[in-house]
Amino acid sequence: MDAFSNLMMGFSVALLPQHLMLAFVGSLLGTLIGVLPGIGPAAGTAMLIPLTFSMGPTGAIILLTALFYGTQYGGTITSVLLNVPGEAASAITCLDGYAMAKQGRAGVALSMAAIGSFIGGTFAALCLVLAAGPLTRLALQFGPVEFFTLVLLGISLLMGLAGKSMIKALMMGVFGLLLAMIGMDPVRGLPRFTFGTMELMDGISFVPVIMGLFGVGEILLNAEKPFAQMVLAKMSTLIPNRQEMRDSLGPVVRGSLIGTLLGLVPGMTNSASSFLSYIAEKKSSNYPERFGTGMLAGVVGPETANNAHANGALIPLFTLGIPASPTVAIIMGAFMMHGLIPGPLLFKDHPGIAWGVIASFYIGNVMLVILNLPLIGIWVKLLKIPYGILSAIILSFTVLGAYSINNSVFDVLVMTLFGVIGYLLRKMDFPLAPAVLTLILGPMMESSLRTSLEMSQGSFGIFLESPVAVVFLVLTAVILIAPSFSFFRKKKQSLAAGEEDLL
Amino acid sequence: MQRVQRAAAVCFIALSGYVCIAAIGMEYYTKLGPGPGFFPFWLGSIMGGLSIVWLIQLFRQSEKSNEGRFLPEKKGVIQIVLILAALAATAVMSVIGFQLTMFLFMVFLLRVLGRSSVWTTLSIALVCSVGVFHLFGRYLDVQLPASSLSMLAALGL
Repeated sequence: MDAFSNLMMGFSVALLPQHLMLAFVGSLLGTLIGVLPGIGPAAGTAMLIPLTFSMGPTGAIILLTALFYGTQYGGTITSVLLNVPGEAASAITCLDGYAMAKQGRAGVALSMAAIGSFIGGTFAALCLVLAAGPLTRLALQFGPVEFFTLVLLGISLLMGLAGKSMIKALMMGVFGLLLAMIGMDPVRGLPRFTFGTMELMDGISFVPVIMGLFGVGEILLNAEKPFAQMVLAKMSTLIPNRQEMRDSLGPVVRGSLIGTLLGLVPGMTNSASSFLSYIAEKKSSNYPERFGTGMLAGVVGPETANNAHANGALIPLFTLGIPASPTVAIIMGAFMMHGLIPGPLLFKDHPGIAWGVIASFYIGNVMLVILNLPLIGIWVKLLKIPYGILSAIILSFTVLGAYSINNSVFDVLVMTLFGVIGYLLRKMDFPLAPAVLTLILGPMMESSLRTSLEMSQGSFGIFLESPVAVVFLVLTAVILIAPSFSFFRKKKQSLAAGEEDLL
Repeated sequence: MQRVQRAAAVCFIALSGYVCIAAIGMEYYTKLGPGPGFFPFWLGSIMGGLSIVWLIQLFRQSEKSNEGRFLPEKKGVIQIVLILAALAATAVMSVIGFQLTMFLFMVFLLRVLGRSSVWTTLSIALVCSVGVFHLFGRYLDVQLPASSLSMLAALGL
């Protein structure tokens, strides 16, 4: 079957009433999580995994992916109306979005951002449809040798791009791998680092760890000082005029391309996509000096890019089985909890699920654009809820989520412990994304390494026998060594500094 | 800040030392290839190496480059400790049940930390405890724990 026929088959799955309902609920919850401060997409997605246990795998993944890209829409609302980004990727939108709101053009900023997000997300989903066939065929040729080097490449990309310090990113990557070592050895089934505790025999579940690091850690950070009173800008008409539509065309096209391409790169955050899109708009504008004073392109470009990025980041997960960001890694974990392995075999063994979920991206993006514009008033009202109440509700759901994974209080305590660890690590500027990615990829990485070495009777030369593995290893080496050269270091530092200034 | 970071680097070194020692106790290599201790040993070694490099970097940085308090003001510390205590206290869930635990948890957070009114506190606490218990049990097929104490269980808690 060609891509189009597969997609049509996917639509026949995604358009089932229960799947439409789950895409709707996921979009709604995603927008809510994007709007609310103190809870990001990673913790939000992890928190809702237990809710999916009673669902079929297709419905569960449709819900979680809709939630993931829904957060990108929600983040825009707070950036424009409050000058507070709901999530990091929308931080740059504050610059021109809030300025537009002060000029009485908040409605236009939000509606054009939603339309741009819809086009960006749909474009990336189309790329996934087109890329699925060729990439899947390529990945089906991979054995443990190629898979190990591919995972190594994915992790090295994340290290090179995560935060200011390479050492800290590497430390977090290894920390995640060490956590993944707890429990049964994946090859011989011997217990490791379990301290004789039954609860650790199956290893540490990634859900409480992520909810601790991202959810509880964030609330502890916010508890340090009183949360600032939010001042809402006034809403205005949502309907853009013809000139505004015309002005948005270029930013939407550029944002879609930038977001989709960067989404493919593991470790590239969607705030980097937004930031690069903003720079691209400023450089291509006839009035670069007006950026920051309410330029529509400064809102539409980055918002299109971050939504294209969210959908684009799912391409390596679906085709190669490699997550490109922490939230995508959580979705990968959800796949595994439902007995599915994302990657090329998913298309071969479960085409209905793979194409059904991909088709749901189109439906979810349509729902989001329809949902967001009329419901902006409701989202704004939610923001008036005091942070003390919001944080208590978020904490109660983290407890619920952690407990429901294994029906065990032990997981709640694990989450609390990782809340403290996440709080301390954030205070010391450690990037948490590498730890999450390696925690989930760790067992697969170890299995493929050990299987490869068993095949070669212990000789590391096996990694040099496969041309694909050699290419991946060379790329890994380049990525890890490149920051040592001043040119790349300066480029990376300027990008990081730019992002930080904006955050 | 510098002192805390140095202490953290030492903690990471200690962790890596423990991992390496524990890994040596496992089988490092078998006839077939790497054993259960192989991967942890190398991870522990890499973590140790990285932590030492970080510690050296910290010593080479000037004190001023990282100045500033690590811990927040006293009020902030109290808030953090109370949140953590509340989270840890939910461990009694298996004894007194989800509903009562979550009700008390929410009342504590909303009244003490959120300074919400009595009615707001009670209504939110009831929804998040009794409401969630029935919603999850009946509609989402996620069974939350009931009390193991017969007296509370008889009350439906």
